[in-house]
Amino acid sequence: MLSRSAERLYWMARYLERTENTARLISATMHLIYDLPYGVELGWRNLLNICGVEEAFYQRFKNPSEQNTTRFLLADMSNQGSLLASLSFARENIRTSRELMPDEAWQQVNEMYLYANNNLDSLSNRRGRALFLQEIMAGCQRFTGFMAGSMSRSDSARFICIGRNLERADMTSRIMDFGTVLLAENRSTKMREYETILWINVLKSLSAVLMYRKHVRNRINGEDVLNFLLKNPDFPRAVVHCIEEITYCIKRLPNATELFPQLEQLEQEILAIEIKQTTPEQLHQVLDGLQAKFDDLHKQIAAMWFLNTLGEAELEKN
Amino acid sequence: MATPTIWADYRADKAYDEMIAAGGKPRDACASLSQYLQSLGMDAIKGRLSAAEAAIMEMGITFTVYSDEGNIDRAWPFDIIPRLIDFQEWQIVEAGLKQRLKALNCFINDVYNQQQIIKDGLVPADLINSSSNFRKECLGMQPKFGTWANICGSDLVRAGDGKLYVLEDNLRVPSGVSYMIENRVITKRIFPELLENLNILPVDDYPTQLFEMLASLAPDTDDTPQIAVLTPGIYNSAYFEHAFLAQQMGAELVEGGDLLVKDDDCVYMRTIKGLEKVDVIYRRIDDLFLDPEVFHKDSVLGVKGLMRAWKAGNVALANAPGAGVADDKVVYAYVPEMIRYYLNEEPILPNVPTYLCSNPEQCAYVLAHLPELVVKPANESGGYGMLVGPHATQKEIKQFHKLIQDNPRNYIAQPTLALSTCPTLCNDKLEPRHIDLRPFILQGENSFVTAGGLTRVALRAGSLVVNSSQGGGSKDTWIINREQ
Repeated sequence: MLSRSAERLYWMARYLERTENTARLISATMHLIYDLPYGVELGWRNLLNICGVEEAFYQRFKNPSEQNTTRFLLADMSNQGSLLASLSFARENIRTSRELMPDEAWQQVNEMYLYANNNLDSLSNRRGRALFLQEIMAGCQRFTGFMAGSMSRSDSARFICIGRNLERADMTSRIMDFGTVLLAENRSTKMREYETILWINVLKSLSAVLMYRKHVRNRINGEDVLNFLLKNPDFPRAVVHCIEEITYCIKRLPNATELFPQLEQLEQEILAIEIKQTTPEQLHQVLDGLQAKFDDLHKQIAAMWFLNTLGEAELEKN
Repeated sequence: MATPTIWADYRADKAYDEMIAAGGKPRDACASLSQYLQSLGMDAIKGRLSAAEAAIMEMGITFTVYSDEGNIDRAWPFDIIPRLIDFQEWQIVEAGLKQRLKALNCFINDVYNQQQIIKDGLVPADLINSSSNFRKECLGMQPKFGTWANICGSDLVRAGDGKLYVLEDNLRVPSGVSYMIENRVITKRIFPELLENLNILPVDDYPTQLFEMLASLAPDTDDTPQIAVLTPGIYNSAYFEHAFLAQQMGAELVEGGDLLVKDDDCVYMRTIKGLEKVDVIYRRIDDLFLDPEVFHKDSVLGVKGLMRAWKAGNVALANAPGAGVADDKVVYAYVPEMIRYYLNEEPILPNVPTYLCSNPEQCAYVLAHLPELVVKPANESGGYGMLVGPHATQKEIKQFHKLIQDNPRNYIAQPTLALSTCPTLCNDKLEPRHIDLRPFILQGENSFVTAGGLTRVALRAGSLVVNSSQGGGSKDTWIINREQ
């Protein structure tokens, strides 16, 4: 498999996962905010923070209103992390990797992209936005389902799987950052009243409610939710599960041995995090640290298998 | 009162029409199609058009147009009314095309080796030496089976006499074959009931044939050859096709940066496992960009050392560098002679009569008759730099007068042919539009011709320019076998 192809498939998967996650996150936030009374210190601004685009947003807008925030996160092409930008990048990567995947894979992403572009006007009202998000989430799932059913578990599939899971782990860790707001010592009484609803919505944004309930047979509380999202080995969006998936794929790729100890260490670190003994500030730092480690992992994957970072001298040795 | 038929206003009296004969009756091979369209009625036909347009968008069938505002991917302009050719006639065309490519390959091989045809006085020596597609670097090379042009796209036109003529042979990097295949996919979607009742030759085996032809060129026949399609990249107008063919063949789609020639003069690609040897490259890059070591020093599209590897016999390039020497409109004029000379056969397909401006007498005739001729530069493709006399302004005629006088070798002229027409859906009704046909011919160990080819149509009324870069569209082409 060409190094260039590996890189494109990896990014295609990352961007598609980001597309789906953004849709999911905004959808969940919409539901949450409709439920909340005035005075709860949680709003669209937190969403900007989770997505890591607060600064970019305030360069363009003053007010983090529902309209401004959703447009910036969904349709603004100047925001590299917006849903539309992610989807466009995904499409561009798959367009240049058509020789690696069944035709329908390209067609599905292309159709979704055309749909998104043709329906940007509907984003200004809540109903239209909800339908739009539903369609995008369904489109991403169709793609994942199609690939599961028709793509050989070859190196191509492995790079797709690595990209998807790295992006997923990153997003779950960002959503967990909500917890630092929800657990803050100085949180308002209003917020305390609505706590359960808030935690349910955190789970919802990851489609994790039912799986959580089946796993944790207890009333919903912050500590259990965070533990579940971090360390559950079976839930596909739990951070540890994502790392295990990545490890599984990497172990089947050529020249991968160098990475094994690092992956092992990363998993142990995640499992060792004690939510109970962590203050919200510490939690925030732990999550930031995790995100930095995911970034390191990405860099190592790129150095190992992708074209742009391969040195000529290194190649000559092979 | 009877419903007006969809053919009532169809006036195909300006040229030979592929579907409707003089007197308004459909031709024998087209009777079923014409009846079927009639039974559908215009509203239903328009419905099928919308379905086709939606399919093209979803399938992402595009081509790229270069413009000042950047490169834009345009949806492939497709006309849903197919163009039909009777199988009986096609068998002759197929034999003629194979014959033609065989002779062309003999010629190219001769040019780069003994040059017997020049010594025997059939072709003037300066024709070769002055050709911008002659590559002295290729002298003495003998590609496998003596084939230099492995993939050829020849343009055929049907003139007013109802006969098919060869207009030109594209031997460098001809494109369009992917659209031929995709057009059929769309037709199957929008007219499934029609295809069920007619015996139409399939077109989708082309990628398999291409793969086998390429595999036959591999230097080492013991192993399964590693085949790659070399593309200039996503900004090339034919990128869609490069990706399509690689995907259909299960070959690697590579860019120059993916390949490397080492000191052993072998070509390798950069993979996740390290370097892997490549045996056959279907290159979709022009000669001059192939190898900065030999040709354009600043080419970033090519691969340093590729010519070295090719000359050492370690990699096959299709088409071979230098094959374009026969893709020259002056050389074209000599093809019938080549067929007699190399194959000792009579040409099956006729050439369009061609005036060579390099010949002083013929040049004088051309200069005196510019308003009625089509003038073409010898080495351009894509319909650029042409003069269509009957449609040209005084200013353009003057300009070409000077161009030809300044560089007669670079121009040829042909009578303006009344290209045949075919019913085409324009402005919500069927109107005759001029068409041509580009079949694709393969030659490696064996020869192969596509069943039909890509029919290109000039969508503007009266226009004779069918190139997609200049407002042309395409049609599905049906070779119809009426024997049961």
